[in-house]
Formats: sequence, structure tokens, C-alpha cells
Amino acid sequence: MNSPVQNWRLTKNIHTKVGKVGVVVSWTKVYVAPSGFEHETPYYVAIVEFTKGNRITAQVVDCESDPQIGDKVVTVIRRIGKPKAAEVIQYGIKVKPNAKQK
Amino acid sequence: MKVTIAGIGMTKFGELWDKSVFDLAEEASSRAIEDSKIDSKKIEAVFVANMLASKLDGQDHFGAVVTSILGLSVPAVRVEGACASGGLAMHAAILAIMSGMYETVLVLGVEKMTDPSSCEITTALMGAGSEEERLSGLTFPALYALMARAHMEEFGTTREQMAEVAVKNHFHASLNQHAHFPFPISVEKVLRSPSISFPFTLFDSSPISDGAAAVILTKKSVKKGIAITGSAVATDTIGLTSRKSLITLAATKIASRKALKQAGISLSDIDVLEVHDCFTIAEIMAMEDLGFCEKGEGGAFIASGQTRLGNKMPVNTSGGLKACGHPVAATGIKQIVEITEQLRGNALNRQVRNAKVGLTHNVGGTGATVVVHVLTK
Repeated sequence: MNSPVQNWRLTKNIHTKVGKVGVVVSWTKVYVAPSGFEHETPYYVAIVEFTKGNRITAQVVDCESDPQIGDKVVTVIRRIGKPKAAEVIQYGIKVKPNAKQK
Repeated sequence: MKVTIAGIGMTKFGELWDKSVFDLAEEASSRAIEDSKIDSKKIEAVFVANMLASKLDGQDHFGAVVTSILGLSVPAVRVEGACASGGLAMHAAILAIMSGMYETVLVLGVEKMTDPSSCEITTALMGAGSEEERLSGLTFPALYALMARAHMEEFGTTREQMAEVAVKNHFHASLNQHAHFPFPISVEKVLRSPSISFPFTLFDSSPISDGAAAVILTKKSVKKGIAITGSAVATDTIGLTSRKSLITLAATKIASRKALKQAGISLSDIDVLEVHDCFTIAEIMAMEDLGFCEKGEGGAFIASGQTRLGNKMPVNTSGGLKACGHPVAATGIKQIVEITEQLRGNALNRQVRNAKVGLTHNVGGTGATVVVHVLTK
């Protein structure tokens, strides 16, 4: 159950995390998902590194083929999963291929 | 540390639709008590390992559940450390005996996982990861897949080498009447099974299982008792992103070095071991991190057949998590039960000849908790 206050805590600094370019360190393609993500399968999740040791895990979106280790990606704000009827819509950080790279 | 295993017991592992978490707890506990030939009234404390009954059965307060079942009014606590709950409960029970407060205690690991849908259980198991990982849509297969992908990239570890772990452990399980999957499989079967999380298929993954395992520990001298000579726990960051390395479990290194030192032995003294193969890559990394081969050579080491029953260093003779099954909190206790059977010489057609020293390696989450025990005949 996600709540408005939980969402507020998770997203209060989200504006500082957008538009950052990082590198894919590892990735997977998820076929069996947890609750709230079933409708998105299969989807990609990567570990992305910005400066050395500064890493996040995030879904990879707007991506037409398998990511590759070493690919540059950029952080974006997206809806996270699908809320249940009484829950609020959650937003968070995902990454997409960095267009400027090409 | 003068702590002896006086009795062991376990249920069959598998999809046991006719048994509740309470039935499983009772079955394993009574078998361990019966095996110990110690009167249950002599049990002075109970340590229960359980991860999911709170979420899945609405049952908190599991310590008192078990003493109710056994008709005891002694102290009882529940210990939780995700998939390392069993190993942690062992550690807590050993400390309780070493403190001098208790002479004989029961340790039980129990989990009932097959009632919910795979989606619900996948979500529940993510309780062992970090908040960031949950919000990224990650699952446990996916987290280990991230480690596997990095291992493949850095060392050229292959899908076939990973599949060999599953093939070996299914062969061992085919000799174990308690195993969830007591039948052999082939490398092709592993590679062609449905994708779970790239690069893993269904047969790279340990199953969702029901089951329980229990042991009676005592400081009294016991005929044919198996001694616990090492018990160590180490922790690491809860999430993968804060780790220095994706291809090693630092906590495995710390806990195993400590446990071996306590036991006063080296790796070459070990005759048989149970390691935490929740996914095929986990057994490969465990062999490297424990020190049986160099980092990066785990895939080739296992593919060489050395860890298969009958060869130099049998690993996961029970069938491991992969094929014996993985009722999460029961796993750490089941490892102790299997090594005890081996050291007693009672492992029947999966007996390792002249086994005198055994080791168990139990991991919680992606390596945020690791528990290692050394058992000696």
C-alpha cells in the first residue's frame, strides 16, 4: 500500500535527479514481475553508474533493443508501476538511451 | 564452542497443498525431538526462523506458535534475516547455549510459500531487497541476473556453465527422498526452459517451496553427536548499488574466514558442503568467494565435475536450493540437517565417503547477510 506521505518522501528531491547521464554497468530483462509491474513485462532494469561508485537501479524505457554494458543513458521521470484502486500514482526515476550519444 | 547437534528432522520439501505452515512446524520439530531421543520437556528455549508467515498467513508471534504446538512454556523467539533466517536462528541458538543460560534448545526453520500466486510471492520476497530495488520493478531472479550479467561480461562465464550447476544439483536431488524435484535434468532442458529474467531461465532458479527443518542443540555429551565448531555471520549493504563489486559477496568471504578460524581448519579439511544456490550464478560465486577456486573460474570449476557426488569435493548433496527446494527460512536449517546426515554416515545413496568435516553457507537477500557454519564429526 503506497500512501501520499510515502510518495512525498520518495519524490521531494526528484528534480535534482533528472537529466543525469550515466553508463549501464549491468542489465536484465524481467519476464516474471512483482505486483504492479505485471502489465509491463518483459521490461529492462539496469544498474547505472554516474560518477565512480554512484549507482542506481532503474527501469530502462524507450529502448528498442537490448541495452549493452557501457551504453550511455539519461535519467527521466516516469510513472512507477500501476497503483491499486485506492493508491496514489507513484512517480520516480527511470533511464532512457541518451540520444546525444548518437 | 561446546555445542552438539543431538537431533535432526525435516519434512519433505515441495508443493505441500495439504499442509499448513503450522503442520510443517510440528512435523519437523517432532522428528528432530524423536531423533535426539531427548525428552521434549528438557528443551529450554526455542528459536524459530521464518520470513513470510507474517505477510502470507497473517501470523506474527511465531515463537509462541511453536511452543504452543509442542506444549512447552519456555522462551521462544522468531529470527528473521530473509533467506538466511535459518542460519541466523542457528547462530542465535548457539550463542544462547554458549552463554550458559540453556543446556538444550530447539531450532526450527519453516516456510509455507506455494499458496499465493507467483506474482504475490515474487513481491513478498522483495522484502529482502532495498526500497530502490522494489521501485525499479526488480525481483530476486532479476537481482541475481544483474550479478550474472556482470560475471559473464568480466570473466566470460557461459550459460552452459551456469546450467551445469542446476544439472548437478538435480542429480543429487534424485537421490534425496525429501527433495522438491527428485529427478535429473539436462543442460538443454535448462537452456530451453522459459525465461524468468535474462540471462536466467526457470531452471536457473530455485523453486517456491513449502517445508520445514529442525535441529536439537545441546551442550551435553551425546552419543554420535555432531559438533558445531564454527558459527559466523557477516553483513553487507542491503542494496546492490552500494557494493564495490557485483561479482563477489564480500560477506561470504568475511563469514567463511571467521568460521574456519574458529574451527581451526583450512578449506582443504572440508569433505562436503552445502552452499546457497538460490540461482545458478550464486553457486559459482560461492565457490569463488569461499576460496575453492580463483575469482572468475567458478563456472569452469563446476563444469569440470569436481563438485559432483563421487568426485573430489561434493557440493549440495541434498540437491541444494535449486532441486531440494527453497522454503526460505527452512533452507539454512536444512543445510545443517544434510551435513549432519553426511557426517553421521546416514546419507544412504548420496553418502560422501569418510566425511568428517562439513560446511554450510546460507545467504540472505543478495548477500546482505551471510551465515557460515562448520560441523565436525
